[in-house]
Amino acid sequence: MESLGDEPWDVVIVGTGLQQSLLALALSRSKKRVLHTDPNDYYGQHEAALTLQDAERFAAKYAAASSGEGDEKKQSVLRNATVWKPDDAEAQGLKFPRAYSLALAPQIIHTKSKLLSSLVSSRAYRQVEFLAVGSFYVYEPAKDGSDPKLSRIPSSREDVFSSQSIPARSKRSLMKFLKFVLEFDSDDQKPLWEDHADAPLTDFLTAQFKLEDGLKRYVVALTMALDGKASVRPGLAAINRHLTSLGTFGPGFCAVYPKWGGLSEVAQVACRAGAVGGGIYMLDTGATPKSSDENEKASLGLSNDITVQANSIVSGQETTTGDQAISRLVAVVKSPLNSLFQVLVEGAPTPTVAVVALQSTPSPIYALVHSSDTGECPVGQCVVYLTTMTTNGSKNELEQALTMLVKAVEGEESTSPCLYQLYYEQAIGDGKPTTEKLGATSALSFPPLSATLAFEDSDLEAVKTAWSLVMGDECDEETYLVFEDREGADAEDDV
Amino acid sequence: MADSAPRPSSSVKLVLLGEAAVGKSSLVLRFVNNDFQENKEPTIGAAFLTQKCNLPTRTIKFEIWDTAGQERFASLAPMYYRNAQAALVVYDLTKPTSLIKAKHWVAELQRQASPGIVIALVGNKLDLTNASAAAAGGSSEDEDEESGGAAGGDGGDESGDARKISTDEAKTYAEEESLLFFETSAKTGHNVSEVFTAIANAIPETSLKSTRGPGASNAVSRGGDEQRVNLTGPRGDASKDSCAC
Repeated sequence: MESLGDEPWDVVIVGTGLQQSLLALALSRSKKRVLHTDPNDYYGQHEAALTLQDAERFAAKYAAASSGEGDEKKQSVLRNATVWKPDDAEAQGLKFPRAYSLALAPQIIHTKSKLLSSLVSSRAYRQVEFLAVGSFYVYEPAKDGSDPKLSRIPSSREDVFSSQSIPARSKRSLMKFLKFVLEFDSDDQKPLWEDHADAPLTDFLTAQFKLEDGLKRYVVALTMALDGKASVRPGLAAINRHLTSLGTFGPGFCAVYPKWGGLSEVAQVACRAGAVGGGIYMLDTGATPKSSDENEKASLGLSNDITVQANSIVSGQETTTGDQAISRLVAVVKSPLNSLFQVLVEGAPTPTVAVVALQSTPSPIYALVHSSDTGECPVGQCVVYLTTMTTNGSKNELEQALTMLVKAVEGEESTSPCLYQLYYEQAIGDGKPTTEKLGATSALSFPPLSATLAFEDSDLEAVKTAWSLVMGDECDEETYLVFEDREGADAEDDV
Repeated sequence: MADSAPRPSSSVKLVLLGEAAVGKSSLVLRFVNNDFQENKEPTIGAAFLTQKCNLPTRTIKFEIWDTAGQERFASLAPMYYRNAQAALVVYDLTKPTSLIKAKHWVAELQRQASPGIVIALVGNKLDLTNASAAAAGGSSEDEDEESGGAAGGDGGDESGDARKISTDEAKTYAEEESLLFFETSAKTGHNVSEVFTAIANAIPETSLKSTRGPGASNAVSRGGDEQRVNLTGPRGDASKDSCAC
C-alpha cells in the first residue's frame, strides 16, 4: 500500500467547509491526487450540521470571546458560543442527541442560484434532497388591543390581487413597483434609481412609488438585509432575485433548502464525489504548513505525525481582522408551528422553511423556522434559526424575539417551551481569498461564506479560483463542474 | 388524480460496510446488474449506485453507497451513515475476522447512525460452503475453479467446505442485536435480492413520508416524494396552471 508521504500531492485540501468540498467535487474527475483533511471528526466545518453532542463540543471549542492583542488583531471566525437547555429538558420532550441536526449554515438557496446549476451539471444534485422554502412573514406587534401576529408577505401578483389586507389603492402602487423591479436593471428603468443607488430603499419607495409604511416593511423584509439599511441598488437586486426565482422548479416557492442540515449536506455530497473520484479522506486530522525553502515544495505536518508534500494547499480562513459579526441563535421549540408551513398554491410542494422578519433596533432580526420535515428535529418540534447583527445585547434580543415569535403563532397563552439553544457569533469576512507562496507551493485560503440569510453566488468565485490554481495548465473552463453521470446512477429522473 | 397515480416511490439511502474483500461491491453488482465478476478489483474510495425495488404497495429506490473496505483512515464511513435509513453489514462466512469487523460496524452504527436505521447482517460467499453445493447445484455457472482471487478464501478444508462461521452463531448474534440476517452468494445470486427486499419491507412507512400533524398538508397526498423539489425542471403538470409571477 502506498504511503501518504511518498510523493507530493497535487493538492492538500484542509477543512471540509462548503468551498473546500466544492473544490473536491470540481477536482473529482481530474486525475489529480487529492488529500482532503479536516481537524474535526465530522464533515462541514463552519457549515456543519451538529447533533446535540456535537453542539456541546462546538460550544466548548468556540466559547472564547472576541479578543485580540496589538495591531495584528485577529479574531476567530466563530466565537462566544454557548449551549443552554432547561434542567428538565428531557422530561419536557427533548429527545436523544442524534435526533437533532442543527445547521451552522441554514442559508436558503434561491432557485436561480449558480450553486444549484453547478450541482446539476456536476451530477452531485442526485444525492441531495431539496425542500421548498415557503412563505415570508413580518412580525406585527400588538396594536389597538389586537394580539401580535405574523403577516404573510404577498410575493406574486396573484397574491397581491387576492390579498384582503391591502387596500385597493395601495395594491396599484405595489403592482407598479413589482413590475418595475422585474426589469429594474434595464436601460428603461435604470434612470429611475441610478442617481439614488446608495440611498435608503425606503426613501426611494416613498418618493417613486408612494408605498405606505406597511407595504414598505414588506418590501424591505424581502431584501433580507441584516443591517436593516438596505440601500436602493442591492435592495432592488435582492427583490428582483426573489421574484424571478419564483416558479423555476414548480409553483409557490422561490428558494430551496437541502434536507438534513442545509449547506452541510451539500458539502458532504461534494466530499463523497471527491471520494468516489479517488480522493483520500482523513477526518480528525489537523494539517500545519512547515517552513520551506524558496524553491522547494511545502510540507504539511499532519496531526498523526505524518509529513506530506503538496504542489498546492487550499484551506479556509479561521480568523478575520474585522470587528463586524452576526449573532445566531439556534433554538429547538416543542411545537411544530404548523400554521407557518401551509401549502398556499395548488401543486406546490409542502414548504419546510418559513422566513420571519422582526423589527428591532439597531438592526432587524430574521428567523428561519424549519419544520421537522427538514430532518433536523423530531416530529412535533421545530428548529428556529434567529440571526441579527452582533451588538452587546444580541443574545438577549434573539431570545426575546424567539418568545415573541412563538406567541405570535400560537397565541399569548402559548406554553411551548424552548428545549435547547445554541448561541454563537460569526465574523463577517471580506469575501476575498488570501493567497501566498510557501516555497514552490501555492496556498489559497477561502474567506468565510457571506454572512447572509440566502446563499450568495459570489461565494462560488473563490472555488473556481482555487480550481484554476490546482489545475494549472490543464485548466479548461468548459469542464469546470460539468460531468457525466457515473455508471450505475439512475438517469430516468430527468425525463 | 390520486387514483391514476403510480405507486408512491421513496428514496432510501443505504450504506454498505464490512471488511475488505468480503464481497460488498459484488453483492451490489449482483443486485443492480445481475452480474458477477471473478477477481474484481478492490473498490477505491467509494462508489454510488441506484436500484429500484418494487413492493406491492410502493416502490423503493435504493441509493447505495459502497465504501471501500480497505479505507485506511475510517473517514469515509461517517459521511455515509449519517442520515442513512439502511445499512448492509457484510462478512465473509469463510473468514472469522470478518465477522469481528462486522460486529464492530454494527456497534458503530448503533452509536453514530440515524436512530431507527435498518441494519442487515449478511454472510457472503455461501458458494464456498457445502450448504450451497446443494442449494446452487442446479446453477448454470460453469466456473469450477475455487472463487479465489477477490474472494480471498484461504482454501477450503478437505471436504470442500470452507465455512468457518456457523449459521447459528451469526444468527444468534443478529437476533440479539435485532438485525435482519441472511447468508448469500453474490456469485450464484442466492438470497441477494431477498436481502434488499427484506430491507425495503423493514423501512418504516413513517420514515418515508411526511408525518406532520393532521391538517398540515392534506391538499397534497402523493406519498414519499411530495416535498422533494426536482431541480431538473418544474414539477410536471402542476406547474402549468399556476404560474408564479
